[in-house]
Amino acid sequence: MPPLILELPWVEKYRPKVLKDVVGNPDTISRLKVIAKDGNMPHVIISGLPGIGKTTSIHCLAHELLGTSYSEAVLELNASDDRGIDVVRNKIKQFAQKKVQLPPGRHKIIILDEADSMTPGAQQALRRTMEIYSNTTRFAFACNQSSKIIEPIQSRCAILRYSRLADAEILHRLLEVTAMEKVEYSNDGLQALIFTAEGDMRQAINNLQSTVSGFGFVNEQNVFKVVDQPHPLVIRSMLVAANNGSIEESIAQLDKLWKKGYSPIDIVTTSFRVIKGLVEINEEKRLEMMKEIGITHMRVLEGVSSYLQIAGLLARISDLS
Amino acid sequence: MPTDIASFFGKKSGKPKTKRVAESSAAGSTVKKQKKNTKPKDVEEFTDDSDIIEIDEPVVNKRPQKSTTRSRAAKIVEDDEDDLEVIDLDDEPKKPVKKPAAKKAPNKKAAPVKKEAPAPKSLASSSKKSFTAEDALAMIPDCELPEAQAGEKVNFWAKQSELKTHATDENFTKPRGAPDCLAGLTIVFTGLLPHLSRDDCEYLAKQYGAKVTKSISGKTSVVVLGEDAGPSKVAKIKALKCRHIDEAGFCQLIEAAPKEGGEGNEAAQKVLEKRKEEEAKAKADAEQEVRESEMREKAKRDKLLKIQKLRESDPRASTDTYVKSIDRPDEEKLWTVKYAPTKMSQICGNKGQVEKLKKWLTNWNSLKSKGFKYYGDSFPASLISGPPGIGKTTSAHIIAKEMGYDIIEKNASDVRSKNLLNQTIKDVLDNEGVMGFFSKKEKTTSKLILIMDEVDGMSSGDFGGVGALASFCRKTSIPIILICNDKSLQKMRPFDRVTYDLQFRRPETKAIKSRIMTICLREKIKVPPEIIDRLVEYTKNDIRQIINLLSTVSKTVPELNDKNFTEVIKGWEKNVAMKTFDITSRYLSSQIWNNNSKVSINEKIEYYFDDYQFAPLMVQENYLNVNPQKAGSKLESLELVAKAADSISQADLVDRKIHSADQMWSLMPLHAVMSAVRPSSFVHGQVMGRINFTSFLGNLSKGNKYNRLLTDLNYHTKLRTLTNKSELRMNYLNLLAQKLSVPLMQKGAEGIEETISILDNYYLTKEDWEYVLDFGVGTNPYKLDIVQKKIASTVKSSFTRKYNASTHPVAIYVVGTAGVGRGGASSAKPDLDEAAAEDAEENNDEDDEEEQDIKKDKLIKQKKAPAKRAAKKTATKRATTSRKKK
Repeated sequence: MPPLILELPWVEKYRPKVLKDVVGNPDTISRLKVIAKDGNMPHVIISGLPGIGKTTSIHCLAHELLGTSYSEAVLELNASDDRGIDVVRNKIKQFAQKKVQLPPGRHKIIILDEADSMTPGAQQALRRTMEIYSNTTRFAFACNQSSKIIEPIQSRCAILRYSRLADAEILHRLLEVTAMEKVEYSNDGLQALIFTAEGDMRQAINNLQSTVSGFGFVNEQNVFKVVDQPHPLVIRSMLVAANNGSIEESIAQLDKLWKKGYSPIDIVTTSFRVIKGLVEINEEKRLEMMKEIGITHMRVLEGVSSYLQIAGLLARISDLS
Repeated sequence: MPTDIASFFGKKSGKPKTKRVAESSAAGSTVKKQKKNTKPKDVEEFTDDSDIIEIDEPVVNKRPQKSTTRSRAAKIVEDDEDDLEVIDLDDEPKKPVKKPAAKKAPNKKAAPVKKEAPAPKSLASSSKKSFTAEDALAMIPDCELPEAQAGEKVNFWAKQSELKTHATDENFTKPRGAPDCLAGLTIVFTGLLPHLSRDDCEYLAKQYGAKVTKSISGKTSVVVLGEDAGPSKVAKIKALKCRHIDEAGFCQLIEAAPKEGGEGNEAAQKVLEKRKEEEAKAKADAEQEVRESEMREKAKRDKLLKIQKLRESDPRASTDTYVKSIDRPDEEKLWTVKYAPTKMSQICGNKGQVEKLKKWLTNWNSLKSKGFKYYGDSFPASLISGPPGIGKTTSAHIIAKEMGYDIIEKNASDVRSKNLLNQTIKDVLDNEGVMGFFSKKEKTTSKLILIMDEVDGMSSGDFGGVGALASFCRKTSIPIILICNDKSLQKMRPFDRVTYDLQFRRPETKAIKSRIMTICLREKIKVPPEIIDRLVEYTKNDIRQIINLLSTVSKTVPELNDKNFTEVIKGWEKNVAMKTFDITSRYLSSQIWNNNSKVSINEKIEYYFDDYQFAPLMVQENYLNVNPQKAGSKLESLELVAKAADSISQADLVDRKIHSADQMWSLMPLHAVMSAVRPSSFVHGQVMGRINFTSFLGNLSKGNKYNRLLTDLNYHTKLRTLTNKSELRMNYLNLLAQKLSVPLMQKGAEGIEETISILDNYYLTKEDWEYVLDFGVGTNPYKLDIVQKKIASTVKSSFTRKYNASTHPVAIYVVGTAGVGRGGASSAKPDLDEAAAEDAEENNDEDDEEEQDIKKDKLIKQKKAPAKRAAKKTATKRATTSRKKK
């Protein structure tokens, strides 16, 4: 028996430790860097899609601000912790009242991850606490939708919005990881990884690791085998062709996908996503197409998931124009 | 930096990335000087005409007789519409608002140059004064005013859409003019301009120093008219004879108008002067504050020195009090704390309310000794309400402090259930503050005040807290200040009668502006005044948000200006989930559907997810109340409605898949498209009247109720009818209703016997008599309310009496359904009484028909009274509840 090698998932292994390493959103990160240097961190809300470094950058910031006293001066709660109104009133408030010796310009930090899943009642209870203890304690919220955070809290915070990572940024990090892990890759493999990640760094690295552990070599085919998602570009050209009335071409694209073994449900859901962002087609038309795709989706879910179903969808779309 | 992905992968790759870049660069480069074919150079030729020059100038004495009344009327209208109009405080109120002189002109000496425009151009004759913005305005011909009479709205819309040729002119660029060239003008934008979005227009106008208002009044210098302008606005333009120009005219105006509104333009000068004054004042304030803070710092240092000395001289001396009083240095505080007002005079906005609060607190003791009247300001407690970030808590604290109160504060972070309030607060209410004894200064007869913050944050955990608090308000012996965001909530009702209501509003831009300018000066950030205006607008007058923003942004950006502003501001717009009504009106009004709206399909779908339970229902409720913009004729509009209805019905099928046993939640986006986005893409347009709340829920419960009643009737009549529910409803009930009501209506008291015999024959009870009639709909002559009206009340009561006097056959006895237990009075068992009482009460809630109930109940009580005590009790209770209800 070979010895059991315990290895962290790469996402954890290569999670940035300092703000300098956080990829993307250069403006916001540079702002955070200044805060980390000068201290006096304001209350912040960081919002954005999953996998773009919200939690990571808060952690980095807290580490850089507090250094060794991190364990003492940081309270972190995420959705896995009970964060009902009682916890806010007891645990959080007590922590805010706690006295910790910190260098000037540093404050205790309460990190509330996934804050959008907190109940409005619990958020209400935070309001005054944020103000009264602001001289010693600062809050950092991370959330996917800032609209789920009640307005009074938004008004008290600096709101930092993280945008999707640019492909170049993901590529940069992927290259670093591949270099460190000595992964063999081809360019189209990385391209596929970036494409499927859709700006989500965590997804990109996870997929990379899965591909490596599954096939050893990262190329387009292997990646799509792991991700198991029809290529959006193919879907796109399929839909565009159908929209232009050239049904043969469209069916040819469909055949390509079908032969690769994608299930109709994957094709339909990807189509729906692709069509939403297909700005070349005017809106009215797109709504009609979305309707057709959606109805097909419904039928597929009902069990009629045949090739004919999808072909019929394409025919109906080409019929629209 | 990372390798450029395009070069890494070659041409094929990186599609999304390059696209993004392209988009942003396109957005950035739109501002470009536009070359118009109009000739602003003619300008110099125009001279004179003081009439025109002084359009917006209050200091004009020449004015037509009529204008007083008209301007007053205009004022009133203005008040009606919205109070967004910022009225210049400098205007002396007694001076009537001058009506724009330009429109008077054509009557006098007009020689229209263009046929369709009553061009005031010709007016511009000769003056020694130089060219001003008004002159520039005068040159631009009025655009055509859409014909709109109140009566023929449909025609108007039809006409509008016919005319509609949405120009997608790629060459359009934003006009550029001299700085402050529009100073002194008041501009109103209405309708949809072909190229510029409303925000852009307003920003352009403001950028060049004009005042932008929302409603047309006598003071309006010019109206920029776009497509689909509201008929009321057009009517008002006509009434007030305002100048109106189109988008091209507006661009022309900006380009033609001279710098700073032109020399000799008093209005413009005044505006500019005022701005300078503001800036000067902010500077003075800032310096003052800097001085003060330096003083404080010095005092602090002195104190520290003192402590050190004390320690040196007597190491055992307690220094606690000193140490405590020394705060953290200012640099470590949040700006919002650092610049929090410390004096009443520093509070931004809401001056009136703050004064009121102070007055109330000053008079509190005398009010109390006289006994609270619960009107005017004679209340034991006051309730401050208003949106977040406008200084409610701060005001309450400062005033209480200035009045020498010791503050007890409870907020949402404290548990505030009934029990705990009773334990902790109740005793406090008649206490005296003890801090006064220790304070150095004498004479502070310390008083306590209770500030209850975030009262609307009391949640399910604070069981009974609201009620307890309201009762404290009545019997307190210290003043109480309650603070909440939304006073109109259901749970705030108990406070309505017992508190002095003080509503705080968002402070005006002006007040915020001076404060922000002060802060900027102190922090040495450069922010031009117009940018502050925009900040205020973006944050919806939330001063705390602006300060937070500045404090964060200033860490990396030393100067905010036109260029980096949009970038900075982008992420800062508060993002609050929309309320159901807002979602509906967004969907149905044409704003988001215009070609130049930037709302993508994805965002439109997102609206649905803000309230995915109600959004579809609300769209369904209101989609018929819209005047479809796309429709040119009535037929077309019907077709659009049909398409929308079709989509909604298909959405219902999707909904069934989602919410049934199938649980296909992945269909939610489809449901969003089908139920909300697509229907509104068809019918969007002008929403007629109010957005109604969905009537689906009410109808659903009504339907359930009838269904239940029908089941009962079906049970009761089963032996005679031998049919099912729907057959009963379709074939029997109409006839039964007729048979049961006609004798009473026609023969009066003599028909009673007949009616009762029919009831008995079908094993129906007295309640069933009503239910049967209740099923009448539409123009049915035997509907309950019609029948009730036609039967004399004496007949009704004797009918009840007679019915109750005899026993009646009961065929099928079902426990727990409506009307059971009283079918045969003789068969009523005592232990069932309680349940029956509850049922009866339920029925009372549902039925609006009470009179019968009361009488019936009374009768039952009389009958039962001697038999059982318990029965009597419940019956009395029932009687009183129903009487109360009445």
